[in-house]
Amino acid sequence: MNSVITYLRKEEWSPYIAGGLLGVVGVLAVALSNSLLGASGAFENLAGMIGKALAPDLFSNMYFNFIMPPGITWQVILLVGVFFGAMAAAMLAKTWKIRWLPEKQWDIVFGKNRWTRWIIAFFGAIVLEIGAGIAGGCTSGLAISGGMLLAPAAYLFIAGMFASGIVTALILYRGKY
Amino acid sequence: MINYILALLLGFAFGFLLNKAGLTRYHKIVNVFRFTDMAVLKFMMSGLVVSMIGLYGLQGIGLITFPTVPATYIVGNIVGGLIFGVGMAATGY
Repeated sequence: MNSVITYLRKEEWSPYIAGGLLGVVGVLAVALSNSLLGASGAFENLAGMIGKALAPDLFSNMYFNFIMPPGITWQVILLVGVFFGAMAAAMLAKTWKIRWLPEKQWDIVFGKNRWTRWIIAFFGAIVLEIGAGIAGGCTSGLAISGGMLLAPAAYLFIAGMFASGIVTALILYRGKY
Repeated sequence: MINYILALLLGFAFGFLLNKAGLTRYHKIVNVFRFTDMAVLKFMMSGLVVSMIGLYGLQGIGLITFPTVPATYIVGNIVGGLIFGVGMAATGY
């Protein structure tokens, strides 16, 4: 029992153990809720809600009416859980704190300016969410959850994601660090 | 209602594991694209293996039915993935 508690307090687990347990969580999600663990969908549900309130005509299209209906969906609640789960994990390891910049590596490549981080994070996240919207999911909702159901879509997505991710990282880092 | 409580608990576990695997950190996500830290792949692939066995096993003995499988539309999936990868490598999310 003590060793379990010590392990829970550890800052970083073996990715194989964390990944294996994620697999169990993925099975439980299907078995108990008949749902898939997705993250990007929740943002579209919320964006749809805001959009319908502000500009109902603009948001009254196929996508927001049928594919991604707005509202507090299962995925939105899941995302709330993700937030607190990650927070609890960081608190157990005593690494929880508010940071303006990522702790490592960022400074060397992009400098210490907070605005650089915020602007790249903001526009990068827009690009990321558009990509997820076109593909039908993100790393968790499509690549992992689709992959475990052996959906071809998931593996096409993983191929695309790594192809462009590797090129982007090469361009951004250009031999730095 | 019970479904929402389940969502909260499952999400909690999901977030907990993501953090423990280090995937809530910028350098972990970026470094998989630079081949210097493969934690993302190790995490994803071990998750895939366990859940594939679990899901197909449970389906085989008739305990569960699969939810809607993500739709395959080849060009959309690949183009979406290509755009997604740019954002992921730039932000580290």
